[in-house]
Amino acid sequence: MVVAGRRKSIAFFIALGVGLIIFTLLLYVGWVLLDWRAGILLFFGIVLLAFIIGGVVLNTIFLVREIRRNEQHDAFINAVTHELKTPVASIRLYLETLLTRPVEEQKRAEFYRIMLEDSDRLLSTIEQVLRTGRVGPSNRIVNSSPVNLTALLEDCVTRARTLHGLSSETLRCKAPRDLMVLGDADELRAAVSNLIDNAVKYSGADVNIAAELSRYEDRYAVLTVRDRGVGIPKGELKRIFKRFYRISESKPVRVTGTGLGLYIVRSVAKRHGGRAWAESEGAGLGSTFSLQLPLLQ
Amino acid sequence: MSLILVVEDEAHLANGLRFNLEAEGYEVLVVDSGEKALDHLLRPNSIDVVVLDVMLPGKDGFTVISEIRHAGQYVPTLMLTARGRADDVLRGFAAGADDYLTKPFELTILIARIRGLLRRRNWEQNAPNNTAGSAKSEATGFTFGDKQDKSFSFDTLALRVRDQTLNLTMMEANVLRYLIEHEGKPVSRKSMLEKVWGVQENIDTRPIDNFIVRLRRYIEDDPTNPRHLLTVRGMGYRFVAVPAEPAD
Repeated sequence: MVVAGRRKSIAFFIALGVGLIIFTLLLYVGWVLLDWRAGILLFFGIVLLAFIIGGVVLNTIFLVREIRRNEQHDAFINAVTHELKTPVASIRLYLETLLTRPVEEQKRAEFYRIMLEDSDRLLSTIEQVLRTGRVGPSNRIVNSSPVNLTALLEDCVTRARTLHGLSSETLRCKAPRDLMVLGDADELRAAVSNLIDNAVKYSGADVNIAAELSRYEDRYAVLTVRDRGVGIPKGELKRIFKRFYRISESKPVRVTGTGLGLYIVRSVAKRHGGRAWAESEGAGLGSTFSLQLPLLQ
Repeated sequence: MSLILVVEDEAHLANGLRFNLEAEGYEVLVVDSGEKALDHLLRPNSIDVVVLDVMLPGKDGFTVISEIRHAGQYVPTLMLTARGRADDVLRGFAAGADDYLTKPFELTILIARIRGLLRRRNWEQNAPNNTAGSAKSEATGFTFGDKQDKSFSFDTLALRVRDQTLNLTMMEANVLRYLIEHEGKPVSRKSMLEKVWGVQENIDTRPIDNFIVRLRRYIEDDPTNPRHLLTVRGMGYRFVAVPAEPAD
């Protein structure tokens, strides 16, 4: 809401700036037409005006970028606060319950399971935040070795099926034998897991995901993860890989997360000489995420 | 049996809250979005207390509390959220929350706060006629106005303005109580932040102005030309029980 309010106020000032520029140009052109003899002076005047207009435009672009960055930063702080505090609150609530109330055996087992899931969620958030620092562009890959991407994908899919309670029909996997890449196995595992977890999270209740690994031009391995979830509006396809960015929430179910998952995917891809991108027909039409990595020659 | 509405989209927390509140003998209704909460709260209901999360799918907790207060629904509401920054807390109170508790929380504290809100609910419901003010509320209240036709009960938090009675939220009542206690003297926004909200930090004081706007709407005959809640420029506010100049 605050974000929407800020956007409205920016829109007004941008429209005002554009309007004033057009008005000034009209005045100038009008003056030239009326008094063409003062051409030389007008030429310098126009150059000067072009500088001023350029300055105003650059200033506006900078302003908009800064505001967007602030919004994303606020959203990130709120998301991380939520992602860290919520599982802690839940674990604490169940521990206090077990300590202070009589709880029958079956419920007790359920509470233990919930606490375990919450501690996994907490750990996953902490790992995402720490990994974001490690995969920055200035850090080099330390543990580079041949990695069997096929086996790694199959591992990640098996883990996701267990974690989210999915069958081999709802989360399908297809991969040729032993596609090998050179890189850091931990980082690659994090990137592949993020893509699959993202697809699950944004699928809502009706999960239908296909993860497919293939060879491209005998030089690259390409992993595509296709879901039939909420999809991505066209204007957000590139931005979703930015740090802290999360797609706008018009969904009936709030998706948890920190806005770091896809940033990690793209950073890992770049560090391994590859790239990552997203495609979608639009909101509500599902999306396809691709990760391309050079094959080990 | 008191009915508590828990608005929480985190299933684990919602289940834990339900288990504990039911063990305390309350009836519990859980919903997982702001819209569903509004569906329940904006139609006739028997909800006694709302436990409201802030970060919800769709409409967030601030919007929900603000909308129900605008609709004249004064059910006691506790905001239970991970957002514990001073400006979030103030925003919650400014939107109309009666209490604010941050996650992670202590179960005993949560239950004590809910009991406090239920106690207040019972006082309100048991106040005779909920209007003209009983002997008890007169004794523990404050009467003001040109014709002494306005009163505020410290017990039931009911504000009586001529023939109408309004049930203030806990924070609205606390702000008014603080101003009444300093009747005639200027009170700074900073001291209100410290004494009413318990916030020591240097933060935006606009939420206080929002409270004053609301209180003026309740108390003043003409809120645009206040005679009880006066602005002291550059400082804060001053409460005047009987204005020097009579109303036009």
